[in-house]
Formats: sequence, C-alpha cells, structure tokens
Amino acid sequence: MQDELTTGYSAQAAALKGTVPGADDLRAQAMTDFGTHGFPHARAEDWRYSDLKALRANVYAPAEAPEAMPTIPASMGDTAARFVFVNGRYQEDLSDLGDLWQAASIRPLANHFTSNAARLDELVRGEDGVSLLNTALLRDGMVISVPAGVEVDDPVEIVHVMTEAAGRAAHLRHVIELGEGAKLSVFERFIGDDSAYWQNIILQARIAEGANLGHIRLQEEGASALHTAKVYANVDAVGEYRCANMTAGGKMARFEAHVRLLGEEAHATVDGVALTATGQVHDTLTHVNHVVPFATSDQIFRTVADARGKTSFAGKVTVAKDAQKTAADQSFKALVFDRTAEANAKPELEIFADDVKCSHGATVGELDAKAIFYLTSRGIDPVTARRMLVEAFTAGALERVAFDEIRDAMMDRIGTWMATRADRAIPEVREA
Amino acid sequence: MLNIKDLHVSVGDKEIVKGLNLEIKAGETHAIMGLNGAGKSTLAAAIAGRDDYEVTSGSIEFGGKDMLALEPHERVGEGLFLGFQYPVEIPGVSNLNFLRTALNSVRKYRGEAEMSAAEFMKLVREKAKALNMDPEMLKRFVNVGFSGGEKKRNEMVQMAVLDPKLAILDETDSGLDIDALKTVAEGINTQRRKDTAILLITHYQRLLSYVQPDVVHVMIDGRIVKSGGKELALELEEKGYADVA
Repeated sequence: MQDELTTGYSAQAAALKGTVPGADDLRAQAMTDFGTHGFPHARAEDWRYSDLKALRANVYAPAEAPEAMPTIPASMGDTAARFVFVNGRYQEDLSDLGDLWQAASIRPLANHFTSNAARLDELVRGEDGVSLLNTALLRDGMVISVPAGVEVDDPVEIVHVMTEAAGRAAHLRHVIELGEGAKLSVFERFIGDDSAYWQNIILQARIAEGANLGHIRLQEEGASALHTAKVYANVDAVGEYRCANMTAGGKMARFEAHVRLLGEEAHATVDGVALTATGQVHDTLTHVNHVVPFATSDQIFRTVADARGKTSFAGKVTVAKDAQKTAADQSFKALVFDRTAEANAKPELEIFADDVKCSHGATVGELDAKAIFYLTSRGIDPVTARRMLVEAFTAGALERVAFDEIRDAMMDRIGTWMATRADRAIPEVREA
Repeated sequence: MLNIKDLHVSVGDKEIVKGLNLEIKAGETHAIMGLNGAGKSTLAAAIAGRDDYEVTSGSIEFGGKDMLALEPHERVGEGLFLGFQYPVEIPGVSNLNFLRTALNSVRKYRGEAEMSAAEFMKLVREKAKALNMDPEMLKRFVNVGFSGGEKKRNEMVQMAVLDPKLAILDETDSGLDIDALKTVAEGINTQRRKDTAILLITHYQRLLSYVQPDVVHVMIDGRIVKSGGKELALELEEKGYADVA
C-alpha cells in the first residue's frame, strides 16, 4: 500500500507545482521524505493511540469546491478579522478583513514566498508522514504578520469548514509572525458535515521578544472526519504563547502542540479539554521545550470520555542542560463514564538541568456518586447534577481563554454534550 | 405530614432498619436518638432516597404521597430536606450557583417560574446574614476548605433558601463548638413553624437544649423502642441507652 500512497500523493504534489511560487523544491523534498517514511507506524510510541488505519488504506484526493456553499456560523463576539476556508481553500467572499489589514500584513500563503524567498527556510517541513504530506501538498493558508509594538485586541477568527468531501483531504498551513512586543489572538474553528474527509492542518508561529500570541481552537469536525493538527510555536524572551484547545468532533482527532521557549522568561500555557463520545478517538500530544533559563510553562488538560470513547494525552516537557530556573507544571485529569471508556495519560519530563521546578500530575476517575447524591438531595435532577460536575471538572482548563463570549460558548458546548448523554454516567454509590 | 409504616431498609445484604414506624405532624419537632449503628442515618438516607439504601418492605408517605415512587430530587420538590452529617465538597461549583440551581429546580418541579438573579441574590444574602455566614463564602466552591462548623452552617443556609416542609437533620450538631451549635440551633428554630416539621437525628442531648423537641424517640437495632416527651432525652443522657430502653 505504501507504494500506492507514494504514487498517489506524488501525483497530487506534481499537480500543485507552481501554485505556491518558490515552494516547489520544498514540496518535492517533503514528498521524497514521505516516500521514505510513510505514515507513522501503529506501534510508534507517539502514535499508538491515534488510529491511522484510514490514512494507511486510502489516498485522499484533494478537496474541491463544494456544489453548495455551506452556511458559516456567526462569530462569537467581536473579531478583528474573519477568514473562512471551505474545503481547504480561502473564501474571500465569506471573509472579513475588518481593521486587521491596517494593523498587520495579511497574505495568502501562495503569495508569501514570491517576495520573501528566504522565508521558505522558516517553513516547518514536518517530521512524520502526516506533517510531511502537509508540506508536500501546500497550497493555501493565511500568513499574518503583526509588526513590532502593534497590539490587536479582538481575536482573529479562522473558520475551517469541510463539506461534501468524502475521501478527500485539505492540507492547510497558517503562518503567524509577531514582531517585538506585538500582540495577537487567533481563534480557530473547525466544523464539517458527515462525509469522511481528512482535515490536515499546521499552524506555525514565531513570537518575537515580548510578543504575545493567544491561540484558541474549537474543534467540532463532522462525525466521520479525520482531523490531524499540529502547532509549532517558537517563543523569544519575555514572549508568551497561550493555547486553549477544545476537541469535541471527528471520528479520530489528533492535536499536537510543539512549543519551544527560546528566550529567557518566555512563557507558555497549553490547555485543553477533550469531550470524547462513544466511538471517537481523541489524541493530544504536547511538547514544551525549555531551551534557555528562566522560562516557564503551565499546562492544564481535562478530558471526559463516554462509554467506548478513547482519549489520550501525552505531555512532554524537555528542559535543556542550560535551562536553569525553569518552572514547568502540567496537570492532566480524565473522567470516564464507565469501564469501557479509555483514558491514557503519559506525562514525560526530560530534564537535563539541575536547578528547576517541574511538576506533573495525572489522574483518571469517575464522577463522584456522593457529589451527585448531594446535588440531587437539594432538588437538582440527576442530569443537571452530572452536567454541573462535568462543567466544574473541565472549567479550569478553559479559565485562561481571554474572551468571555468564546469561553462561554465552549462551556455551552460542554453542557450540550452532557445533555445528549443524559442517561449515562450513573455511577454506583460506594460507601466511604 | 410524614408517615412511615413497618419500614425495612437494607444496605447490601444487611438489614439495618427492621420494621420502623414513625408519624410526624405539621408543627412538630421530633428527635431520634440512638447509638452509632442503630440505623438512624440509614433511616434518613432511605427517606431522602439514596441509591443503594434498599427499602425491602414498608412505606414512606409524605404529604400524602408515596415517597418510594419518587426520585431523590422529586422528594425535595415535594418539600423534603436532608441535612448531611458529612456535607460533600464539590470543587468547581460555587455555593451561589449550587443554591440557585437547587432553588430553581425545586421551583420548576412545583410549576413555579425561575427566580430572577436579583431576587435570588437578595434572598440568599438575607438568609446568609441571619445565619452569620460571611457573604464571601457564597462565592466559594461548595464546602471546599470549609471547617466542620462552616459546613454545617452552609447546610442551614441551604435549608433556609429551600424552605422545606420537613427537614431531616442528620447529626447536624456533631463536631460543632458551642457558638456554631447556637447558630445552627437558631437556624433550625427559625424553620419551625405551624406548617413545617423537623426531624432531628442525634446521639447527644446537647442540641436538644437549644431546639426543644415535642417528641423524642429511642432507636436501637433498627427499631424505635421507646417514645416520649423532651424529658426522655435527659433521662437517656443520665442513665444511658441500655437502662432507658
């Protein structure tokens, strides 16, 4: 099958020649590497919980424009700009540049390298078949550069919609560049219909000294979707990268965040909530790399898995030999509704410096039956009681979402998700 | 108001309540006294409808309705309240959110409109003040980091907000210093009216000096073996359970 995959995707890469001027060599190189590596093996440590069967068995054709344009959901609160991508292509008509164009440079990826050939080197090439294909099949995405000192207060919303795309894939690449002291928030949304599509996306960010990037993701892909997403963020001194990710949709969804703290006092928070329903596989992998001293990172993940849902979190923190006075925290908690739900946690600290403060905690548990009885003994019905407990359990991972409308909408998603499983999660009371 | 006939309750394979009869009328305050293991808390849990307390025979009628046919939250809607011996900590849920959801759930059950946020805040502040609760504690997570006395005070605030017809207070006096005991007793006395009833479950006479019961029952090994006036409590304290029963 690997030969068929290589042949199929090589043909797709060849057809894209010239669509992103300047990137043809990069594309060819990534294709060659894909041919060598293929998709990650099911037994590869970092991929053991992700189900890539569909990827190994099918060549996904490039997604095309749908016959009917889907309805795009309204924004959640004020936005600085709104970019809409349907089936992996930018939709100018549906987008709104707002005031952002006055403050920042906005370019489609296709134009990015025509005047900046040197920028090509900054493009992440990928380290496995999934990201290599993203590079090999580059075509569209948004490049946002915020000049030094410019602060954009409202979030920039990027909506990704997939529709009528069974057996098809989109490989998007967004590039965010913040100059010294610049500030930007990006809110990415992912929605789709029930067709079995593949959304394969990379967002790469360069955060200069003292700059601040907020990154919120709300993943509500269609029920048959395959979603693979990677974030690469490089943070300079006193810079900040703050990520909050909600994973709810897709049949199989994987989110990776690779953060490198490259300057002293750089700071990263990587938070997330996963709502994993029956039959879904949700996989989260984070790698925060402390390269220099005095950088800090903090991660809070909460995941809830219904019967036969599979959810996993692998959080790695690397502290380089010179990165003294690093402070890194990581907290992962999973709630499973019964014994058939699966939650895996793999915290991993790789510390080469000796004067650091690093901690991690991981727990997997069920809803507290005593708490449910306490709530119902005050007149609250059991469905509401369970919803309240799940909201309370997950809320801490969304506290750092800086926009009330977005955070409220995310909390609403949790409430709605619980309402659809009203008859579940009735644990037995066990005597203390 | 409450009518329990020949009640048998098992936990697991073990029968704990073994044929208990009890009638409480509106306007009355009853106390059930007994040693640990007599089945007092099991009785309270069965009336409230806790899951794994199985009523194997007998009946519990409250306000003319068969409680055993109702879910725990529906029993609260009917006007029942259980004060916990060990109030549960609920991280992430604020006291205010808890109280408001509880009150509106009960109102919804009774076919009443939800209370507005302003009205609710006024009510809660008033009840908290009457019970000497620091208003800041309303914003904190339910019982998290509360002392034993604060937890029991919180139970009293919940009772005051829900205003039940019948309050069953399970060892509400345990672990309280004298000031907290007085506050809790005041809360209970405020709830005593012509149209309400109280059932105190305790194994000490202490609380009964502040909340004088109309009827005292002695419970031993799953049954009420003796009932009498408030003087029975004093007698128990003096002579011990073995002699009185």
